[in-house]
Amino acid sequence: MSVAVELRGVSKSFGDLPVVQRLDLDIEAGAFVSLVGPSGCGKSTLLRMIAGLEDPTAGTVTIGGASPAELRRTKRLAVVPQQPGLLPWRTVAENARLLLEVNRRHQPADHPDPLELLDEVGLIDFLGAYPHELSGGMRQRVALVRGFALGAPLVLMDEPFAALDEITRSEMRDLLARLLERHPATVVFVTHSISEAAFLSDRVLVFSPRPAGVAADVTVALPRPRPPELEDTTAFVEVCAELRHRLHGAMYGATS
Amino acid sequence: MTDRPGATSRRLRVVAPIVGIVVFLAVWEAFVQLRDVRPFVLTAPSDILGYLGKAPGDFFAASLITTRHALVGFVAALIVALLLGSVLVASPFAERATQPVLVLIQVAPFVAYISSIVLWLGAGDPPAYFTTGLVCLPAFVFAAVSGMRSADPASRELFASVDASRWEVMWRLRLPSSMPSLFTTARYSIGLALIVSYLVEGSNFSDEGLGAIGKRAAASNVGDALWATVFCMVILGTLGLGLITLLERWLLHWHASQRTV
Repeated sequence: MSVAVELRGVSKSFGDLPVVQRLDLDIEAGAFVSLVGPSGCGKSTLLRMIAGLEDPTAGTVTIGGASPAELRRTKRLAVVPQQPGLLPWRTVAENARLLLEVNRRHQPADHPDPLELLDEVGLIDFLGAYPHELSGGMRQRVALVRGFALGAPLVLMDEPFAALDEITRSEMRDLLARLLERHPATVVFVTHSISEAAFLSDRVLVFSPRPAGVAADVTVALPRPRPPELEDTTAFVEVCAELRHRLHGAMYGATS
Repeated sequence: MTDRPGATSRRLRVVAPIVGIVVFLAVWEAFVQLRDVRPFVLTAPSDILGYLGKAPGDFFAASLITTRHALVGFVAALIVALLLGSVLVASPFAERATQPVLVLIQVAPFVAYISSIVLWLGAGDPPAYFTTGLVCLPAFVFAAVSGMRSADPASRELFASVDASRWEVMWRLRLPSSMPSLFTTARYSIGLALIVSYLVEGSNFSDEGLGAIGKRAAASNVGDALWATVFCMVILGTLGLGLITLLERWLLHWHASQRTV
């Protein structure tokens, strides 16, 4: 249950400032695609345009043949933001089912039970806790569950682990990989972390500085499922090295 | 520090305020007795209590009326502010257009125009409700708008990502977000509402409420009656604040302001 994303000639300017320029992009259904690139290169803007939270100045975004607005209207698109954005007056369980409770006319027919998801991410003992009682990692786990509870065919994540410490980050990364094995979806994932991108992705798009353009399109051929030990293999280190090399090239001009 | 933490906090929470009030009353009593101050200027606490003891029923009934006036005005202002706020938060133009009017209401000396409102609305309850509501309104509207606007941007995007309706965003996100600022304003407005009601009761020709007793006492230089109404007003204000604090603890338990650490 996943959908393909298609961008055709997508441009975005804020005033006179071009952020994304004539971008064509195809993301195949079921793929995990990471967007990496220098800060402020327009990755997040691109993600927001796929989500329909920002309109392109020119060009079109199509998701499984429909517009982003149509996907939002029918709740077939899940967003996991950088800040968890939990409502402080709702408990963990109430936050986890928030997106199911709004826009009830379009209840996804076959969505996972938020309580089961909370169990999967190890929060079953914290159902009645409030966000201020949780650690940063636990809050972001609730945010993940809230997104996956929609059972949406497209999940958009904007640096969801950026605010976490190193140890929690790799924990979250493994958790996300496991969640996706059980609840497959097309994922577009913005990150600054090369190892995160290498670990999670089928494909990594390296962006050049603003205005955003794809400087490199790297296929990550590592086998799945991907256990945490994958990080110690030569193959993984090589993927990271290639990504780093491509990113360097995108930022400072052509290299060998 | 040999005290257990529990003992220390109880001493702080319960004993310290009582000590403060007892010392204040004692100094007041001593000052009036020793300096022989005229009762109209300042009546000793013992005389105030003595006067209240002579007709407790009258003062209780008057206090209930003043409470009703203040509460109706206060709640009406809150409801109008929430309705108006939800409109203004959606329309910057309407907000800009309304703001100066609200500021005018807020800074106009309500004491000066009370008699005009009594002439307009007639004697009795209506001018008390209206003036109290009017005076409390601006601060509540400002609090509602700024609180609703403070809703977390990440949460707002989240609601947008599932195409939540305006009503859902208002009810599930903006309204709860405005609670902290509304409570802060309520703490200040509850005392204001009582004072406005008291003053209107002194001018609305109905001879009801603490304000009416106070007005009569002032007109005939009866110090202990006047100070007895002041005493009742202070009790009402304190009860009102206590009630708001309890509500706040219950409704805002999730907010940083309700945590001790």
